[in-house]
Amino acid sequence: MVQLALLTAIALTIFMAEAQLPPLVPIQGVKLGLANIVTVYAVFVLGPGDALLILCARVFLGAVFSGQMMTLLYSAGGGLLAWAVMAGLSRILTVKQLWLASPLAAVFHNLGQLLVAAGVMKSWAVMAFLPWLLISGVVTGLFTGLCAQFLIARLERISRGKDPGTKED
Amino acid sequence: MSRGVKAIMAALVLILAGSAAFLLLRPKSEGHVARISLDGQVVEEIDLSRVETPYTLTIDGPGGFSNTITVEKGRICVSKAGCPDQICVHQGYISDGTTPIVCLPNKLIIEIIGGGSGLDAATG
Repeated sequence: MVQLALLTAIALTIFMAEAQLPPLVPIQGVKLGLANIVTVYAVFVLGPGDALLILCARVFLGAVFSGQMMTLLYSAGGGLLAWAVMAGLSRILTVKQLWLASPLAAVFHNLGQLLVAAGVMKSWAVMAFLPWLLISGVVTGLFTGLCAQFLIARLERISRGKDPGTKED
Repeated sequence: MSRGVKAIMAALVLILAGSAAFLLLRPKSEGHVARISLDGQVVEEIDLSRVETPYTLTIDGPGGFSNTITVEKGRICVSKAGCPDQICVHQGYISDGTTPIVCLPNKLIIEIIGGGSGLDAATG
C-alpha cells in the first residue's frame, strides 16, 4: 500500500513536471510520456492489478491538478488500452525484456487517445495524425521502456545492498 | 530469443515502416477548399484559391475561448488561440489535405478538402 502510494506520487510528479514543458513537436498528443516509466515498472514488478490502481489514481489526480478535465478522457482512453496491452505482454515477456513491451503499449496508448479525440471532435479528420503518433509512440515508448529497465537494474542492486553510485569490479 | 520477443520486434518494425511509408508515399491532395468545423458541425467553407487579400476571422468554440484564423491565397492557419497549449498556432499554415489543423480544447478542425473535382474525392 505504501509502495503504491509512493509510486502514484512519483508518477504524478513526473506527469505534472512534463506538462510544464512546451510541446516538442507541433502535433497533438506527441510527448515523452515519462510518467509511464512508473506504469511499466509497476506492471512488471508489482503485477497488472496494482499497476492499474496506480494508473487510475495518476490519471485522475493529473487531470485535477492540471485543471483540464478533458485530459482525463484522453489519458484514460490511452492509458487503459496501453495497460491492457502491457498486462497481456507481461505474461509473455520477462522482466529483462520489458523495454520491448513499452513501445507497443505506447503505440496503443496513442491509438486510444486518438480514438477518444475522434469521439470528442465527432470527426475522423484527427486520424490524419495516426502515422505521426505511431512513429512517436515507438520512439518515446522505447525511451521510457529503457528508462524503466535501467531503473529496475539499479533498484535490484540497491536491494542487494550495493551502492549504485560506485562502480563495481 | 523467444517467439514472443521476435513477434513484438517484427510488429514494431512493421508499424514504423508502415507509418513512414504512408507519410512519404501518400499522394498530395489537390484540394483548395478549407472547411472549418466546430464540434462536428461545418461552420465555414472557404475556397482558398479565390482569396485575393488576406483576412482574419475569429471563431468562438465550445471550449470557452476563441481562435483567430488567418486566411490567405492558397493557405490558412490559426494565428491566435486562447488555449494553453497553442499547438494549433505552432502548426502554422496548411495548404494541402495531408494534415488538418486540430484544436482539441476548442473542438475546432480546419481541413483542406477537394474543390473542383468534387467534395467526394477528399472525404474518404
